[in-house]
Amino acid sequence: MYMVKYTIQRLVYMLMVFLIITLMCFVLIRMLPLPALPPNDPHTEIIALRREALGYNKPYLEQFWIFIKNVFTGFNWGVSEQLYIGRQVWDVFLEKLPATMIVNLYSILWTIPIGIGLGILAALMKNTWVDYTISTLTMVVISVPSFVYAFLIQYIFCFKLRWFPFVMNGGTDYFTWSMFLSMIPAVLSLSFGVIAGFCRTTRAELTEVLTSEFMLLARTKGLTKAQATVRHALRNCFVVIVPGIFGEFIGILGGSLIIERIFSIPGVGALTLNAINARDYNVFMLSTCFYTAIGLMAGLVVDISYGFIDPRIRMGSKK
Amino acid sequence: MKKFRKPLALLLALAMTLALLAGCGGSNNGQTDDSQTNNGSQTNNGQTDDTTPADEGGEEVEQLTGESGKYTYRSYTGTIAVNWNPHDYEDNTASDTMSYIIDSLYAFNFDDELHPTDVLNPEVDDDYEPYGGYVILPAMAADYPTDITEQVKAEHPEWIPADATEGYAWSIPLREDLYFDTGYHITAETYVEGAKRLLDPKMQNYRSTDVYANPWGIVGAEAYFKQGSTNYHDNGDEGIAFADMTKADDGQYFYNDMPVYIPLDVEMTWLGGTLRDTVDSYGADYFVLDHWEELVALADEEGLIPCTDDNLALLATVTTGNPAWGETEADLPNYVVYAEQMPDGIDFSTVGIYAADEYTLVEVLGASRTGFSLYYSGIQDTLLLVEPDVYDSCIKQDEAGNYYSTYCTSAETSPSYGPYSMTEYQTEKMMHFSKNDKWYGYTEDTYHVYKDPTDGQTYHMYQTTDVDIQQISEMTTAKQMFLTGQLSDYSMQPDDYDQYGFSDYLYASPGATVFFFLLTGDLDGLQTREAAADFDQAAYDLETIAVPSFRQAIGVSFDKQAYCDDVAPSYTPGYGIFGDTIIVDPASCTFYRDTPQAKQVLADFYSVDLASYNNDLDAAVDAITGYDPDTAKELYAQAFQDALDAGYITDTDGDGICDQTINIEWGVVGSLSDARQKQIAWLNDHWLEAVKGTPFEGKVGIVASKTIWDNATWADGIKSGQIDMMLAGWSGSTMDPYGLLQAYTWPSYSYAVNWYDTTKDMMTLNLNGEDITLSVYDWAEAVNGTIVTDTNGVNRVFGENESDPETRTTILAAVEGKILQTYTYLPFINDGSKALLSQQMYYVVDDYNPVMARGGIQYMRYNYDDAQWADYVNEQVAEHGMLQY
Repeated sequence: MYMVKYTIQRLVYMLMVFLIITLMCFVLIRMLPLPALPPNDPHTEIIALRREALGYNKPYLEQFWIFIKNVFTGFNWGVSEQLYIGRQVWDVFLEKLPATMIVNLYSILWTIPIGIGLGILAALMKNTWVDYTISTLTMVVISVPSFVYAFLIQYIFCFKLRWFPFVMNGGTDYFTWSMFLSMIPAVLSLSFGVIAGFCRTTRAELTEVLTSEFMLLARTKGLTKAQATVRHALRNCFVVIVPGIFGEFIGILGGSLIIERIFSIPGVGALTLNAINARDYNVFMLSTCFYTAIGLMAGLVVDISYGFIDPRIRMGSKK
Repeated sequence: MKKFRKPLALLLALAMTLALLAGCGGSNNGQTDDSQTNNGSQTNNGQTDDTTPADEGGEEVEQLTGESGKYTYRSYTGTIAVNWNPHDYEDNTASDTMSYIIDSLYAFNFDDELHPTDVLNPEVDDDYEPYGGYVILPAMAADYPTDITEQVKAEHPEWIPADATEGYAWSIPLREDLYFDTGYHITAETYVEGAKRLLDPKMQNYRSTDVYANPWGIVGAEAYFKQGSTNYHDNGDEGIAFADMTKADDGQYFYNDMPVYIPLDVEMTWLGGTLRDTVDSYGADYFVLDHWEELVALADEEGLIPCTDDNLALLATVTTGNPAWGETEADLPNYVVYAEQMPDGIDFSTVGIYAADEYTLVEVLGASRTGFSLYYSGIQDTLLLVEPDVYDSCIKQDEAGNYYSTYCTSAETSPSYGPYSMTEYQTEKMMHFSKNDKWYGYTEDTYHVYKDPTDGQTYHMYQTTDVDIQQISEMTTAKQMFLTGQLSDYSMQPDDYDQYGFSDYLYASPGATVFFFLLTGDLDGLQTREAAADFDQAAYDLETIAVPSFRQAIGVSFDKQAYCDDVAPSYTPGYGIFGDTIIVDPASCTFYRDTPQAKQVLADFYSVDLASYNNDLDAAVDAITGYDPDTAKELYAQAFQDALDAGYITDTDGDGICDQTINIEWGVVGSLSDARQKQIAWLNDHWLEAVKGTPFEGKVGIVASKTIWDNATWADGIKSGQIDMMLAGWSGSTMDPYGLLQAYTWPSYSYAVNWYDTTKDMMTLNLNGEDITLSVYDWAEAVNGTIVTDTNGVNRVFGENESDPETRTTILAAVEGKILQTYTYLPFINDGSKALLSQQMYYVVDDYNPVMARGGIQYMRYNYDDAQWADYVNEQVAEHGMLQY
């Protein structure tokens, strides 16, 4: 019951926060001056007419009301005004989302087991050369931004070794071998940091749990080290790791601007930035609202997930 | 042993990291392979290639593959076009895309042996050399147009002035074998239908203004496009005095029965926005706001304030009270508009474009247009033609009632009537074009053939069978792809010049803009800054930059070529305010800088002693470098004395060295980027070198402005003495240096407006044996076709239609000389770009022509087809690791 009440409460708060963030973004993006009209250019009057027709000369709050009304009554995000003139921004967004999601999904699918696996290995072999090697590499990898790996991977695997194409293939056949191959450099670039992150978290948590007294009790009950680790230690340290996995999945949707740029991935990462630069208000607002909603939802899911992972945690309970 | 485990593990981790990084080194960069020549095989048609994994020596590597008989041009761009609708496109990425899928009625060709003459140059000169220029030939037209001005005037006297005899109405015969790749047959009616859609009032097409905003636009087009609307005429452009307006009983001004308003929300081109936005943006820094709200309260729902004397007085308190804005009541007419109510219900038959028969198109222009200008900017056919069925299916309406078109935003909505069809398109990713088999140009054999100057053989144009363009934002990615044969060109970056600066495959393309040192001359502004409390006048000086000899010295203090080599390798030295690519007579492709008048200007400006070159002007001008350290030192000595006399600087100890450091505030626009810092550092180093041994030794320095200026304000910074110096340039049409001249002579544009008045500087020229005296401003106006009155009261005009190219060139050069002599604009560098071209193909000419470039895709020839190229690349990459350029 606590959970239901807590969830409803959080959903109401979420809606309020969503509206506040949306309003702030709406006003702020519109406060950016539109590109100056070129002096003595006859096209000026057309641009001025277009701006008038798009309602840019109306008060901000009136524009915001129209925007919110269209979104909530017809899920209408409007048309692109600068980047994809005349196209529904929702269509444009959906067109971009798969490439970002797939690249990040591939990255997640192999980074989680590897990251956690390395973390477990380091924890189990704590203070051995294996642990030192993994920990040191983890520190190095975490300290270097992903675009550095991107350039290294592109240079080594695409240019020198010629194992992969330089950029992601064109088209939307995302599940062909050729397309998969072309995504590997981007997937690798995104992966190093994530692997290191999971590895570090897992090692830290597991190391702590392994030294707990209940682990000693488990061993004295006759469990083998492997049994005690899998049944008791890992389960406990997952309270911290699983929310991290959720967070990474949220990151899937966000994409990486720089990785998309280096590997020419036609994803959503660049779309938001381009929308700001071009003052394409509707594209920007859709991106912003989408990520705001996802972020808020993720926070809720993570909080609720604690209760499922560890029954001792009861969100919303005052006891 | 146990104690060594930790260090060993760290070493292992370090070794693994280093191993990863070590893979980055050891390339074969820098080696050239002279065995590759531009003489290769030519075969037939082809298709795209792709990179696919293949076995080589048991190892999976990406092998380049290609199809025999295909010739694919693979290029890249930082931004791929999203809308190339001929009615609505807005940028160059769109026009680049359109160039593959459209054609034109008349087109430019190199003047090769097969086409040595055209309608503009019907005679072959004695000194004719193939590929020296260009010719204009009928392409989609069946022949050159016929002037039917008299005939149309008789039928439609409302379209053509009674005294006009030629150049207003043109009959254009069309080929009968024109088709879109959808199969739609193109006739004269298709052009008319295209014009109707372009000018459709409900669409508000961006390009509609192109066919009516010029005096020579299609007659009736503007009235049709704007029907039912209120047209606000910006008096900043019109320049009508209040004395020429009438006043109604309520005091509101009227012009030709049209009410005059002070608009708050009408975009005014001279202002670069609306009055409300401008005042809101600059506020009390530039305006006096005491009565602003009172003025705003008078506006109606549309932001219009009736123009009355009382309301003008209120406006005057806002715009004339602040010296920073610097205006007087004489400027008030610029702030008003007069409202013209456009009639509604206008039929398209009132627009001057119609089909005389199935294959004859008639265009009626608002002004006479003949010769080069008719073909270059008069007919404008490429703006009109769209595939009506696809076009109509692409029109959408949003919930607010606005209309949009998705025509030419995808491969499916991009019908082609050009040499290629768009076969694939993905936003922000790629586009692919393949041969359009329905294009007439692949079958007819008169226009689309040429004689190759390299081997003397006759070829059909468009050997390229496919064009593949990818969006690649990172230059390192593009470079690596180019070096592995996956791209056909690569734009050089500054770091590449050491390695590829002398490559046989490097092509330079000069731009049309000369960047000059822009020096402020606003003594009032400089003195105001010096008077600031925190300015140390004993240690620093600002006023000296206004001393003419000092400005002159700066002009010869820097080695322009060295700057290009060190800082901007793709640029070349600039010597005049017009660059090397500016064409002064398009009909004969005469480059301005090649004319004797233009050469004399440079000889005068750089004080070249012709006698030392045996009075050979060409040799004298060729020897100009714009860098003369000895003269610079003399001028600095002179400037020291001048500044001392003027009381700008002191020499209290009498050692002949300036007490103050001449601090030059450099105008930084946007941000102080690394490139800008490098630029300033170079200039500082070389300037200090130039003043060695002069009274300014160690006493000059450029500092980055504390204020970061933006595009809307930096010009005011220069004009008002807030910025001392910066590098700037005017870009303009290569074909129209006369129009660009006005950027230097119009007070509203001139950076020197506060210290050089073009309307008062009189200049006498002897033209055709007659001395004519006009102000510099009027000379520039006259050469642009405006009637002006000389000092003898005689009306003069030297526009394109009234004067010969020789006379106009003389005027252009004289005004350029006058502008240079102000030492406000010190020419420094000419923009340009350099790119490597793949060994797979070659250009038919090496020399760059601003109109034809190097022939583009239509003249491009291939050394290898795609299959041969793939073999060659795989072999070279296996051997050298990359292609050798």
